[in-house]
Amino acid sequence: MNKASRLEGFGFIAPLLVLMVVAFNAPIVYMLGLAFWEKGRGFTLEHYEGLLEAPVYLRVLGNTMRIALIATLANIIIGYPLAHWMRGLGRRGRMIALAMVVLPFWVSILVRTYAWIVVLGNGGLVNRALQWSGLTDAPVSFLYNELGVTIGMANVLLPFLVLPLFAAMTRIDDRLLQAAASLGAPPRTIFWKVYFPLTLPALAAGALLVFILCLGFYVTPAILGGGRVPMISNLLDTLINQIPRWEQASAISTILLIVTLLIFAAYRRLDRKASA
Amino acid sequence: MTREAIGGSVWTRRGLAAMGIFGLVFLTVPLVIVIPMSFSSARALTFPPPSLSLRWYETFFGDPRWMEAMWTSTFVAAISSVAALVLGGLAAYGLRRGTFRGRDWAEGNFMAPLIVPTIIVAIALYLGLAKVGLLGSLVGLVVAHTLLNVPLVMMVLGVAIREFDQRIEQVAWSLGASWGYTMRKVVLPNLAPSVFAAWIFAFIGSFDEVIVTSFIAGKYETVPKKMFNELILEVNPTITAVATLLIAFTVLALAAVAFVLGRAGKLKETVV
Repeated sequence: MNKASRLEGFGFIAPLLVLMVVAFNAPIVYMLGLAFWEKGRGFTLEHYEGLLEAPVYLRVLGNTMRIALIATLANIIIGYPLAHWMRGLGRRGRMIALAMVVLPFWVSILVRTYAWIVVLGNGGLVNRALQWSGLTDAPVSFLYNELGVTIGMANVLLPFLVLPLFAAMTRIDDRLLQAAASLGAPPRTIFWKVYFPLTLPALAAGALLVFILCLGFYVTPAILGGGRVPMISNLLDTLINQIPRWEQASAISTILLIVTLLIFAAYRRLDRKASA
Repeated sequence: MTREAIGGSVWTRRGLAAMGIFGLVFLTVPLVIVIPMSFSSARALTFPPPSLSLRWYETFFGDPRWMEAMWTSTFVAAISSVAALVLGGLAAYGLRRGTFRGRDWAEGNFMAPLIVPTIIVAIALYLGLAKVGLLGSLVGLVVAHTLLNVPLVMMVLGVAIREFDQRIEQVAWSLGASWGYTMRKVVLPNLAPSVFAAWIFAFIGSFDEVIVTSFIAGKYETVPKKMFNELILEVNPTITAVATLLIAFTVLALAAVAFVLGRAGKLKETVV
């Protein structure tokens, strides 16, 4: 390889590279540094020790994990049948269903979260329907608790699971399924032995992606939780904006960053497998 | 026989259809409900609205703070989307056509703002901008929005550039066209629909950005930041009008993208 080709095309990325190094990489490195630094004493791990000693941090971490897991499961339960059903639709039906998945994806997350206040509130659609049908006498509280946060997060993240899953399902060759049918396999067997295993990498990749996004979720817990359902991001907000403890916030961010990148590495492996 | 191979009995298929329709309803009902609520005459959020009025739109358009937030959002979105388009577009081209080493590494770094939790980007930028004294400045805001938008631009244009036959460019060069001339007359006209889509996506991305903006904007208010702050304090029906306007804006923008890409026959590869 000669010198020219070793640098060819580099000029195109240089401006963006400069911006990213100055405005993205440098601040993140600075944040990582703060997490391991104490004024006048240099390198320290005490900000991490502080995390282990305060039960509030562990409780928030447990909360976040649990909500993220439930929201991800809800996404799988709602998203898989939806994507599978869309695959079986005709061309027109597919386009309409796809538009109904893509549009919410692009609408502001604030709007989608806010809409749940309208739908789930005490005078909202769901409570009115429940009372009208006589299932309950008093309004059910969906808002400002874990249930509301989980519903809101599952809703906001559903397109992230459905879109790649649907793409993977449409890539499955119908002839494979016909071959299984012609050999006498009943539909149930074809689904579980042929179809489902083929969609599994895409399902796992989508679920991991949703889980990562859940871990760092900020807007929905802040609004639908009403301050009563603290997740990692809301804790970070408090440590930065309300009781300034930047080192502690940096330490938590570092952990969240590492966990996210590890899960993302797993996602990448699965995603390659899914699109291969 | 094609799709029926795994369709199973009538009841299995009906059950699946019910679940699929439930999923679509779950996704879209919140958006559909907000729209009639924004025309409600009542202060309480009861559905259906007791009677119709435009009072929440009047409140929104008559409030100078909302109007200023709208202006700031538009300004920041306009500059940062164009900056992301130019920088991200050039980089996507360099990554697809270049032969320099470390391309994967560079691409990973450019896409990182999409994967790193936004709250961490917000905190890092907050600390970094505080260090250099740019916290609460428009410059800081525009730079932050630019780097958050770059991944969107690169995803859309990366696909478009890969699909565009490099030999067409080589023919232009071999006929003596300069690099700039080839870009202007050969590459850009062919990529125009995707460039438009990327710009719209970047504009929406910036216009809707709330987390980083809340952390670093200081005294500047954008529409999402103001909306977020009001939602945390109390439920004000004016938000319903703002939400409806944002939905209308998104529908129109996406319809424009679908129209332009559809005419160029590129809709499918960009959406899925």
